[in-house]
Amino acid sequence: MQTESLCDLDDDLRRSILRHMLTARGVDEEARQLQKQGALDLWLSCQGQEAAQVGSVLAVGPDATVFPSYREHAVALTRGVTAEELVAQWAGRTFCGWDPRDRRFFPYTLVLAAQTLHAVGYSIGRRLQGLDDFVVVYVGDGATSEGDMSEAMNLAAVESASVLFICQNNGWAISKPAAEQMVTTVAERARGFGIESALIQGDDPETVHRQCVRAAEHVRDRRSPYLIEMRVGRIHGHSTSDAQEVYRGRDDIARTAAADPVLAYADRLTGLDVVDAEWLRGVESQVRDIRERLMKKYAS
Amino acid sequence: MSARRQTPLAETINATLADLLERDPRVLLVGEDIGRLGGVFRVTRGLRERFGRERVRDSLLAESTIVGHAVGLALSGLVPVCEIQFDGFTYPAVNQLVTQAGRMVNRWNGDLRLSLVVRIPSGGGVRGVEHHSESNEALFARVPGISVAYPSSGEDADQILRHAVGMGSPVVIYEPIRLYWRRGLPDRLGGPAVPPTSARIVRRGADVTVATFGAITNDVLAAAQALSPSVETEVVDLRWLAPIDMTTVLESVARTGRLLVVHEATKDVGIGAEVAAAVSESGFDSLKCAIRRLAPERRDYPPADFERDYQIGVERIKEEVLEMVK
Repeated sequence: MQTESLCDLDDDLRRSILRHMLTARGVDEEARQLQKQGALDLWLSCQGQEAAQVGSVLAVGPDATVFPSYREHAVALTRGVTAEELVAQWAGRTFCGWDPRDRRFFPYTLVLAAQTLHAVGYSIGRRLQGLDDFVVVYVGDGATSEGDMSEAMNLAAVESASVLFICQNNGWAISKPAAEQMVTTVAERARGFGIESALIQGDDPETVHRQCVRAAEHVRDRRSPYLIEMRVGRIHGHSTSDAQEVYRGRDDIARTAAADPVLAYADRLTGLDVVDAEWLRGVESQVRDIRERLMKKYAS
Repeated sequence: MSARRQTPLAETINATLADLLERDPRVLLVGEDIGRLGGVFRVTRGLRERFGRERVRDSLLAESTIVGHAVGLALSGLVPVCEIQFDGFTYPAVNQLVTQAGRMVNRWNGDLRLSLVVRIPSGGGVRGVEHHSESNEALFARVPGISVAYPSSGEDADQILRHAVGMGSPVVIYEPIRLYWRRGLPDRLGGPAVPPTSARIVRRGADVTVATFGAITNDVLAAAQALSPSVETEVVDLRWLAPIDMTTVLESVARTGRLLVVHEATKDVGIGAEVAAAVSESGFDSLKCAIRRLAPERRDYPPADFERDYQIGVERIKEEVLEMVK
């Protein structure tokens, strides 16, 4: 497991990371409430994964095309998808609420790992046309059991495709714990396909950012794939349709909530005087506005 | 009746693919053994040498990879024409075709052209081993986002391929294996079908309409020839199974008053049922007798020694038509 100490991110970037994390948390919380009120049909919370998502998407830069799975809400929001656009598909209004081309953030794919092959093909296609071929694809740990994930890793390796695989391992494939899903890490598995990889903690956005910058450089410079596995916590159930208390230990749930990466990072930046109470109040107020707009659009 | 162009189907498809590659730099071919080997049926012979390995791509032996990464190629603006080696090996690609390729344009709220063609050699009659003689076209005909074609002649394969690459949505094209290299097929009416997505009347007749598609179209034509002049059979080659050009079928049935549907895939929940139901709904008044379907009973395609029992054949088609005009 690779970890890094705090050193080289400037304070503007740190504040930007925290602001995106707090925004994602606020939108996620509002969406959960809207689902409870019946305004959304389903919501797959990303709480606990904000550090991994914001850190990684900022690291790869705005030009990389992103193929998400379906829980990358913090990635989406950071890429400029509005809260209203993000929630539209979960309210049954569309299959994709945003402009995928404009945001270079492609539609959510609900069939596990199917998007991994699209991502590799997209990168190959861009390369064949002499265009920027750097592509980022997100998957969860559960999805790595799908054949398409293995096929995509193998294809990316033999084609030396410029694809960064980002696996957020939140420890659970709905109700099946990671230990029962695989006997190696996903990072080890990638190396078996000939893809260089790293396993990192995904709860610190600065570690994530730093590792993803390096990974992106690897992909761009060597024009070959890379995989980052990030250990993250899943604070809520897989979706609003499963009560995780049924299958998950109370202590584990409490530990995960206590290790909340959003609160931890806010505390850390406060302690370092990178942000202060006034800055936090400002962000809170922005998030409140976003939540109000979301509520007005969907809770009627 | 004009004489049919007698270049073998495989050669025609080869020439069409070459012309598409020549004309449009976005077109590329992807499939197992299509490059160095020229395809197991030699349909793509010589194309890798001519257009290079980047555009005539020997894929991994993984069908989900072929279609899944072709979705990505298409998203990037290219026009992949994939080949699945045999119909019976399509199944690992079904998820990518059905849940991804077929739904992508809709998922993008219509703001996407996904030009993606999947060619599938299909059907039996060539002493294939298990999985090498199947006909699974009805499976994809049920998927709203996928168009399905099944040409039975080189002329039609050429027209359909050229149309398919420009549709901006996924098209599955079935190619009858046993016609690839066959010459001396029965005569049929020629000329381009208008529009390219239409069915085609390949023989005129006043007594009974036979709607069919694929290799068996030639058996239907042979039966029709043998029955003439005592019974004049009108033969409609559907060519497209999704969507089906029911207008052409209904107009023909309005003239003849009788409809037989013949296909090589098993009868249950098949294309024949769809055509029969549509004619019952919209052309019932013109019917002089019950609609009939002639297709294999519900069972696996048998080992090669037994495929003659499974295949419909000219004699059974003749018998069925004679029953209907009795």
